[in-house]
Amino acid sequence: MKQTCILQDTETPEKTRDLLAAAVGMYGRDGFESHVVLVNASPETFTGRFHHVIRVAEGLVADNDPRAITEILETLHQTYGFDSILIPGTTLGKMIAPRLAWRLRTGLASGVTDITVRDGRIEITRPARSGTILETILPEGPGPVMMTIRTHAFEHPPEETVPTRISTCSLPVTTRSTLTRLGVDQPLESRDIRDYEVLVAGGGGAARCFPALKPLADALNGAVAASRKLVDQGIAQRHIQVGQSGKTVSPKMYLALGIHGSMQHLAGLRGVTSIIAVNTSPHAPICRLSDMVVQGDACEFIEKLMDKLMPNPHKNT
Amino acid sequence: MPMKLICTVKFVPDPDSFTAGRNRLILNPDDACALGFALAVKSGDPGVTIEVVTLGPLSVRPHMEDLLRLAVDRGTLIWDSGLEGSDAFVTSRVLSRYIADRPCDCVLTGSHSLDGGSAQVPVQIAESLGLDQMLGVIRIDPDRFDPTRAVFQAVDETGVTTWKMAMPGVLSLTRESGYKLPYPALTDLRRDVSEDVNILTSRDLGFSADQVGRAGSLSRVAGSYPVTYGEKDPVVVGTDDDGITRVVDFLKKKGVCR
Ligand SMILES: Cc1cc2nc3c(=O)[nH]c(=O)nc-3n(C[C@H](O)[C@H](O)[C@H](O)COP(=O)(O)OP(=O)(O)OC[C@H]3O[C@@H](n4cnc5c(N)ncnc54)[C@H](O)[C@@H]3O)c2cc1C
Ligand SMILES: Nc1ncnc2c1ncn2[C@@H]1O[C@H](COP(=O)(O)O)[C@@H](O)[C@H]1O
Repeated sequence: MKQTCILQDTETPEKTRDLLAAAVGMYGRDGFESHVVLVNASPETFTGRFHHVIRVAEGLVADNDPRAITEILETLHQTYGFDSILIPGTTLGKMIAPRLAWRLRTGLASGVTDITVRDGRIEITRPARSGTILETILPEGPGPVMMTIRTHAFEHPPEETVPTRISTCSLPVTTRSTLTRLGVDQPLESRDIRDYEVLVAGGGGAARCFPALKPLADALNGAVAASRKLVDQGIAQRHIQVGQSGKTVSPKMYLALGIHGSMQHLAGLRGVTSIIAVNTSPHAPICRLSDMVVQGDACEFIEKLMDKLMPNPHKNT
Repeated sequence: MPMKLICTVKFVPDPDSFTAGRNRLILNPDDACALGFALAVKSGDPGVTIEVVTLGPLSVRPHMEDLLRLAVDRGTLIWDSGLEGSDAFVTSRVLSRYIADRPCDCVLTGSHSLDGGSAQVPVQIAESLGLDQMLGVIRIDPDRFDPTRAVFQAVDETGVTTWKMAMPGVLSLTRESGYKLPYPALTDLRRDVSEDVNILTSRDLGFSADQVGRAGSLSRVAGSYPVTYGEKDPVVVGTDDDGITRVVDFLKKKGVCR
């Protein structure tokens, strides 16, 4: 039985469970025992999902201290001899995984989006070169297989529950970071674009009328997203950027308004059910991936579609 | 005490010419921001020293010379054929051994490199040197940046946060910071700096052949292939009344609106 260790996603604890899909990819559904290490979440969310919940004793480490968390994981590895250690690809995760890999002298695959087994060997896939190519990585050497998992790349279906053992880790921690949070300057909206089934996304061709996307998104019960073009221009906020250096989204409906469909943008679309592209050019790459292409001006499209969706009774009187 | 700064820089294929056969190299955009910040600190305090260090093929030498035409005090290029095929682990190991011998107050790096983009190197350099490190730095407060501590802003999933961290430490900037490299002074443009790039090999740093390159690497890239997406055969409409009606029908059919 393989032993796999998963570090809790400190940002969205519920998403931690999706990392199990990566372990399933390596060992099959029943081929491993799962250990989850909790830094700031309570065990309830995890019971029935993981075989072993390891709670880090209250007050032992700060949930933003990469060095202390690295040390805890290293110590746990010494105890349990994990075959693999999976870390969420959050900013914190990216500051922990390389430290741990360094200490354990093992390779690290970063931003993993897929895992398969071929001829009995684990093959790990990750995007490289700004999302234009996919690399296949073969783990080597005696160390545990280590990776950071790209957020939203894996999805683990809710399954029947497993018996869960809960233990507490209260080992002493000797290395701590000096990082102190002085303040949060710009908190983000609590709901993430990844949580919506409908996204109304704007790109360079919708820069002129970007604020008009919001009422349309509201009318469709969706959220507004953007290409990096608009983020770089300061028109849209970074946390709604879709793509290689933004978020990976899987909505049922993606309206791409004035978005060209560069490789780096498409890298953020995973398993989108339907795409409607609005573009002055029917030759933009996004159009080939779309179910419907509206050839024309994005701003005019929004205005006319809104008129149809929410006829204004006072308009023609 | 004026600060001693080390900037790690990587030269990467220009993503705009990836498909155009031979790859033109550019300074990794995040690294340009980190160096841009360092030069801004130096312009306010000429006592500050800046060293840039890169691990990369000898073909990057002219790019290093360009950096020496700015107010960079020292440029080091680490290369030998044995380093070819080094993964992030070896890269971190070689760079951190070099940096360990050159005491400094802050190591400035990029957060991601365009080609690798794993953000592994700065974190492992910090781990190896026993230092704190932060990714996603977008602003460093010049008035609170000294050999004892730095106050800076960084972005992550939750937003923008202001942090304080003890120095020496490793700060990894992103291109969102907007720090820019200055243009070289006209007199510097013509300055011959060809002898000024300090070139070292892995042996100079005490590594044996089996510790570097593919032999020393811990991960192996077995292959790579271009990303492809499922193509469809879209219905094309216009923004006239008929077109909009068909969009609404499609949205209704998909259950997105009533
Ligand atoms: C390392 C790296 C990472 C990157 N990461 C990302 C990322 O995460 N996300 C991302 O989006 N990009 C990313 N990019 C940038 C990416 O390469 C493109 O530059 C970007 O996606 C272009 O945005 P766009 O399609 O909105 O704009 P443009 O390229 O300007 O395209 C505009 C499109 O709108 C159409 N148009 C013009 N006018 C109108 C109009 N009036 N009405 C309708 N259509 C119109 C045009 O035909 C065109 O197709 C990255 C690049 C690099 C190098
Ligand atoms: N070969 C290298 N030489 C110098 N610095 C590097 C090298 N590789 C990575 N770095 C630094 O580490 C940062 C992150 O790179 P990466 O880990 O490849 O995403 C870069 O922005 C550089 O500052």
